[in-house]
Amino acid sequence: MSNIDRRTLVKGSLAAMMAGTTFSRAALAQSSEPILLGVSGPLTGPNAQYGTQWKQGFDLALDEITAAGGINGRKLAYQFEDSQSDPRQSVAIAQKFVSNPAIVLELGDFSSPASMAASPIYQRAGLVQFGFTNSHPDFTKGGDFMWSTSVSQADEQPLLASYAVRRLGLKKLAVLHLNTDWGRTSRDYFVNAAKEYGAEIAVTEGYIAEERDFRSTLVRVRDANPDGLILISYYSDGALIARQARQVGLKQVICAASSVYSPKFLELGGEAVEDVHVGTRYFPEDPRPEVQKFISGFKKKYNGLEPDAFNAYAYDAMNMAAAVVRIGGTDRKAIRDAFTKVKDVPSVIFGTATFDVATRRVKGAMNAELVVRKGQFALWDGKPT
Amino acid sequence: MSSWLDYTINGLIVGNVYALVAVGLALIFGVSRLINFAQGSIYLVGAYIGWVAVVQLHTPLPLTIIVVAAAAAVVGLIIERFGLRPLQNSVRIAPLLATIGISFVLDQLVMLTFSPNPRALPSQLPDVRFQVGGGTIGPLDLLIAGVGLTSALLLFVFLRYSKLGWAVRAASQDRDAAMQMGVDVNRVNQAVFGIAAALGGVSGMLVGMYYNQIDTAMSLQATLKGVVAEVVGGAGNVPGAVIGSLLLGLVESYGVAVFGTSYRNLFAFLLLVVVLVLRPNGLFASARQAPPEPLTGTFIAPSRPVRIPRWALLAAAAIFAVLPFFPVSFYVLQTLINAWLLGMLALSLTLVAGTMGQVSLGHAALLAIGAYTSALLSLTLSVPVGLAVIGGGLMSAALGTLLISPSFRLRGHYVSIATLAIGEIVSLVILNWESVTRGPIGISGIPPLSLFGYDLISPSSIYWFSFAVMVVLALLQGRLLGSHLGRSFRAIRDDDIAARAYGLSLNRYKSLAFIFGGFAAGVSGGIAAHLYSYINHETFNTQQSILALTVVILGGLGNVVGAIVGAVALVGLPEVFRIAAEYRILIYGIVLLLLVRFRPQGLLGTI
Repeated sequence: MSNIDRRTLVKGSLAAMMAGTTFSRAALAQSSEPILLGVSGPLTGPNAQYGTQWKQGFDLALDEITAAGGINGRKLAYQFEDSQSDPRQSVAIAQKFVSNPAIVLELGDFSSPASMAASPIYQRAGLVQFGFTNSHPDFTKGGDFMWSTSVSQADEQPLLASYAVRRLGLKKLAVLHLNTDWGRTSRDYFVNAAKEYGAEIAVTEGYIAEERDFRSTLVRVRDANPDGLILISYYSDGALIARQARQVGLKQVICAASSVYSPKFLELGGEAVEDVHVGTRYFPEDPRPEVQKFISGFKKKYNGLEPDAFNAYAYDAMNMAAAVVRIGGTDRKAIRDAFTKVKDVPSVIFGTATFDVATRRVKGAMNAELVVRKGQFALWDGKPT
Repeated sequence: MSSWLDYTINGLIVGNVYALVAVGLALIFGVSRLINFAQGSIYLVGAYIGWVAVVQLHTPLPLTIIVVAAAAAVVGLIIERFGLRPLQNSVRIAPLLATIGISFVLDQLVMLTFSPNPRALPSQLPDVRFQVGGGTIGPLDLLIAGVGLTSALLLFVFLRYSKLGWAVRAASQDRDAAMQMGVDVNRVNQAVFGIAAALGGVSGMLVGMYYNQIDTAMSLQATLKGVVAEVVGGAGNVPGAVIGSLLLGLVESYGVAVFGTSYRNLFAFLLLVVVLVLRPNGLFASARQAPPEPLTGTFIAPSRPVRIPRWALLAAAAIFAVLPFFPVSFYVLQTLINAWLLGMLALSLTLVAGTMGQVSLGHAALLAIGAYTSALLSLTLSVPVGLAVIGGGLMSAALGTLLISPSFRLRGHYVSIATLAIGEIVSLVILNWESVTRGPIGISGIPPLSLFGYDLISPSSIYWFSFAVMVVLALLQGRLLGSHLGRSFRAIRDDDIAARAYGLSLNRYKSLAFIFGGFAAGVSGGIAAHLYSYINHETFNTQQSILALTVVILGGLGNVVGAIVGAVALVGLPEVFRIAAEYRILIYGIVLLLLVRFRPQGLLGTI
């Protein structure tokens, strides 16, 4: 046995003894202390907006969970650590969470580099990393403690392709995508599905997240002569592209991925996003009870603010966490096992969510075909635009 | 053919937008020889003040412009008075660091006041579009062009024909001589900062209206593009900045036309490097112009370094070496691992920037090269991880030195800008060279660190490994600096003409410094890759380069122990301030500013 290994063993047993004493103390306080979840996500830095949206979704879900009596009489709470979506900080946060015995489950991080850098730490320590926005195809391959409710792009993009090609009848598409792991994966699934449905891909253009000016890109798009533009974008860049497309005189149908589904898309895009088609997972008038509860609760808590896709992901994730903790209790390994047992959790995005144990993801996202009409998202009435 | 007309028009329209920032940067550089990294933050502040005026107070456009200009000018005056004036007699590098600290503080204040969510900033001009070529332009395009050109023209006239303008130019040529002739240099600086800030604020507002979108991430991008445009046009040259901006816009637009959108910034930064190499003073510098940097090394002033007794260093090393035996949490160990990794990067940069005087702003590129090389070697060629990390270091040394070699003839700020551009180029090549780097998908499943067949997985073993590597690199570097090589490096830094007269080959010594520095940084990147198991083009970004420079300046340029102390401080401080949640980066910025203010030569002093 090597020197390093022996030292680690000695240290490991010391740590185990110390952990043991903390656990027994924790057990004493069990009835009054809340059950704690760790959240690693951006509150400052370039992605700070998404962290604040997470918080809104989490807080709403927690209010409802508490009002319903908590988890077996105990409150559920979270500790949010700001990672700035930076892998250097997310690994430190991971060590902080795994060595805090009070934390039973971890949520996040936001970006793939930050999340997947922390995965080995969570996996080795045996704490579930529940990444609810992690669509990177390799995220859940990090180990059996990595679980995700992020809508798989293998699921979502064919739905969008079907909306664009089969329902809207577009035959020749220009695809503009964020050149990130998410945008790139999405683009590939979209292109495959669209070709299968019989459409031609005229041009694909990847742009970096900081890009603001798309005029030259749109000249390329115009020269490819498509009959529809597909935006695999977030709401801020999606709104920019739509505005500039209309400004340079492109009149083609625009069809966007669900990640633009946000009141901000309407605010930032203004008149330019009128008639933009969006494939989403839910819509405001959706009669499903979980959607109505989410939207009315959200508006009530945040002074009439409309929730967006990231709010919904966070809300669903907290509800899923609560469902898992209800089954698994506060033991980390039992919580991991609970992910395989939890069934039909009400969800805004999935209707009811059940994990596929092999991929550790949830399949079967709901589908709603929306269009922007008079500055509001509305269910598409089947009329061409 | 008509498409080319459209690409040209689009390039000019974007160039127009860049010009607004570049003019402000050029003005400040012209007078104080300072790249004002806070200019982008003033632009951000201007955009949000504009939002308050338009959306909350419903002011008409002319009044909005006046309000924004006045408020931004006040911000500029405050920065000058309290951020920069106290530093005017300290090291030349201190104000640069101060502007970075100020930009942290301003960006955070805006984010805390207005939340990080993007906002719409509606244009107050009528929405008419004029058909030009295949596209259209609107009144806002014309207003932006008008503001850009008018301000450049006004500044030109002001500098050439007004008395205060003469004072500004005199102060920019020779500050001491201007003072002896009775020019109130402080007043000149005030005037310049006020004007530049007013311009920056108005441009942020106009660009916000142009895109109908403002958010807190716009500041760094504005600074980057503005710096590129300004340097292309000739640093400190106001009309040159406008032309440089238009050229930058055109090159980007044609780049998109020929190669596609994802290559856009690649062309912007290649343009910059080409211009710097061929015409280091910018395209429009006149032959009569005084050399842009002083001939001797006043950029980095020597100071008396703090002498740390050998026993204290040994004791500190021993304490850190046995730390994992004590019941410290894994979180503390992980934070220190981050500090050791940053420490290796800082060792590299303190050699290149401090000892050699080549202040690099693109050092994260060396991390990226090392990380990708090591990850790919171990994944695709199954090279043992220990060897792969060394391979990463060697590749970083070779490729880094090769990439930087064209800019060996540059001096002072120009080196920083060239390295900034090279750093961006490396990151964009990683993004676009998909057959090798897997593009935006990144590399996942990188095997963990291992040594002689034993996996280093526990935090303690990774801690010891990274600490040992860093200590070895530090000892090697200390040895290097004590030899004739170290003396030659410092000689070149302090006076390259004298050094050359003594027969030192500048290029050869600069190459040696970059080879050694590149190796240390590459090893750090390689270890990080195996530690994270996943990397992509965003893992090692510009913020890392700026952080490394901050560490080096904080510790004391050229100071080996200082680099490590600085790394521990700057990894540790944001973690210590974690309790302050959203406020922590703000506090970090303020602490940084105070350190620069009261200890500009760094904690342990320049060597």
